[in-house]
Amino acid sequence: MTALAVARATVLRALRDRTALFFMVLLPVAIIVVIGITVSGFDRFRVGVVPAPRQGPVARELVADLRSDTGLRTRVFGSAGDARNALRRAELDAVVVMPAGLDEDVRSGRSVAVPVLVEPSGNAGHSAVSTVSAVVAGHAAKLQAARFAAQEAGGTFETNLDRARGVERAASPIAVRAETVDGVSEFLPLGYSYSTPTMLVLFVFVNALAGGAAIVQTRRTGVYTRVLAAPVPSRALVLGETAAYLLLALVQSVLIVGIGALAFGVSWGDPLAAAALVGVWALVGTGAGVLAGALFRTPEQVHALGPSLGITLGMLGGCMWPLALVPGWLRTVGHAVPHAWAVDAWTELLSRGGDLGAILTDLLVLLGFAVVLLTLASLALRHRLTTSDRT
Amino acid sequence: MNDAAPQPVLDCAHLVRRFGDRTAVDDVSLRIAPGETYGLLGPNGAGKTTAIRMVCGLLRPDAGTVRVAGLPVSTAAGPAKRLIGFVPQEVALYPDLSVRENLRFFGRLYRLPRRRLEARVAEVLDLIGLTARARDRVDSLSGGMRRRLNIGAGLVHAPTLLVLDEPTVGVDPQSRHAILESVTRFGEQGMAVLYTTHYMEEAERLCDRVGIIDRGRLIAEGTPRELVSLVAERDRVRLTAVGDLDAFARACRRFTRVEGAARGGDRDDVVEVVVKDARSLLPELLDLAHRQGVHVRSVEIDEPDLETVFLHLTGTALRE
Repeated sequence: MTALAVARATVLRALRDRTALFFMVLLPVAIIVVIGITVSGFDRFRVGVVPAPRQGPVARELVADLRSDTGLRTRVFGSAGDARNALRRAELDAVVVMPAGLDEDVRSGRSVAVPVLVEPSGNAGHSAVSTVSAVVAGHAAKLQAARFAAQEAGGTFETNLDRARGVERAASPIAVRAETVDGVSEFLPLGYSYSTPTMLVLFVFVNALAGGAAIVQTRRTGVYTRVLAAPVPSRALVLGETAAYLLLALVQSVLIVGIGALAFGVSWGDPLAAAALVGVWALVGTGAGVLAGALFRTPEQVHALGPSLGITLGMLGGCMWPLALVPGWLRTVGHAVPHAWAVDAWTELLSRGGDLGAILTDLLVLLGFAVVLLTLASLALRHRLTTSDRT
Repeated sequence: MNDAAPQPVLDCAHLVRRFGDRTAVDDVSLRIAPGETYGLLGPNGAGKTTAIRMVCGLLRPDAGTVRVAGLPVSTAAGPAKRLIGFVPQEVALYPDLSVRENLRFFGRLYRLPRRRLEARVAEVLDLIGLTARARDRVDSLSGGMRRRLNIGAGLVHAPTLLVLDEPTVGVDPQSRHAILESVTRFGEQGMAVLYTTHYMEEAERLCDRVGIIDRGRLIAEGTPRELVSLVAERDRVRLTAVGDLDAFARACRRFTRVEGAARGGDRDDVVEVVVKDARSLLPELLDLAHRQGVHVRSVEIDEPDLETVFLHLTGTALRE
């Protein structure tokens, strides 16, 4: 009951602290939006399209097909020169130049080539050409069908082209699924599905560390001394503070998960596994926060060092960029901090559809971090409360 | 106190506490009866706060025992702690919670049932005169109000023994008066009060008995009248002067008839000297001052008080 009284007071104070609420909810959401927008579209090729002057309906339809393809992010240019400049500035992966007289050539049965420009140094260029080729091939198939129908059954090219379009819409598409044998994705999906879980990992930890300042402040006001003069064991005081910070970390996590799902369409994967991961990560953050509250001497120290430490650990642990992109030794170093294991687990859940069993190792490692941090925090805080002249 | 006396509320026996080589509290024993206000008087660093921390179970004694109403006090959360109300020197409250929330918080620590808690909170708010500010945050209160609330937080659970550690330090005169009035009422209501201070006049005004502590040792104990009677035949000479007053005080102590001399009082330009028969020694003191280049502006010869007692017992001023 006394632990509950301590926890209640701490939660009440935190909920009244507008600055803390800003760091707890608004800042994480703002950064999720910024990073989400920044990294969204990295899985689509940037293609410039240069329409031909006075192009016919067939050419216009091809441009429309290119623009509606989900694998391409297209930008229409008024001239080939402008598109080339954008390509040189690496603003594009490829440029499609619509040939003049495409409609006439198609109707007369002549072969048509659609030029696609790429930069020799651009890694994504050739992959972009493949995607453009697939769109052009799909378009060409309709044209061939229309010509074939016109030759065999008569009728105008336009009439048969409309039929071909209708048949294409009615027929069940044949899907192509690419699968890498024994391969797994090492990345979170891009966009908000990348920024939301990584920022959840980063901010729950940073916020918990910053929360240590409140513990230092309470120590310095003498409230803890007074609490211990009451019939309250030091372990109840530590338990109360720990429970309060755990609750705050969980509330923050649930808010980020909820906002991610509702506002940004993030799919968090297996609910049980996601809940377990959120819970264990909140424990890790709580342990770090209470430990900071026990070790630091002034709230200013916590404010100055806590977020820097949290962000550094977050960078090491893959919250800012995927650890799959860094050298092997840095990846190994990164896994010395809990963040890497949490990001690994979210990657498993979001990118590979993993369940609780699939992230069990990550959870156990994180639980180990949590136990160590909470034990150290409890020992340090109890030591601080019971031995020093002024706690 | 004899064997027939009622059981003391507080019974400290031979308390010792060392910090490294320094003995902060050295064999201190004291007892407080129900309804008695006991003043622990001593200068800063004398060991008052260390003694209080042991009384409240915040610090483990190296030797000795503390009992409250017969129950042993330890640093564990034992039943004796339910009987103690601790008011620390600093304002130990949550600044961002309201007055009422703070009182509720401290009441909950003593596991008061909800209805009893609410009733006690209302009583304490009335007692400390903060009912109208109950919903306000502590950091919006004046310094004096915070001090009163600081005391109120120690009263919510209706303690048998109230321990106040220098509650008037840094308090404006009006709030100080209010605090002293409150403490007087606590004693009248039957609560035992342990009150530490280095303000002699507070001890004289409030306390039924006073213990004088210096360098960790309880060097005298009794009612203010009993203590003053120790120096009844002495005079306290207050010399208001300009010059090297520390050197002058040291020189005064060399006179055999001087029992104590120190810079002291409320002002920096005063030297207090405890002597037997001040009138006969005064010319020699003035001559000494002249030889030391100290210009004496005024001389007062006062009746002895607790300050005189302290000067007599320790040779130094209470506030040195």
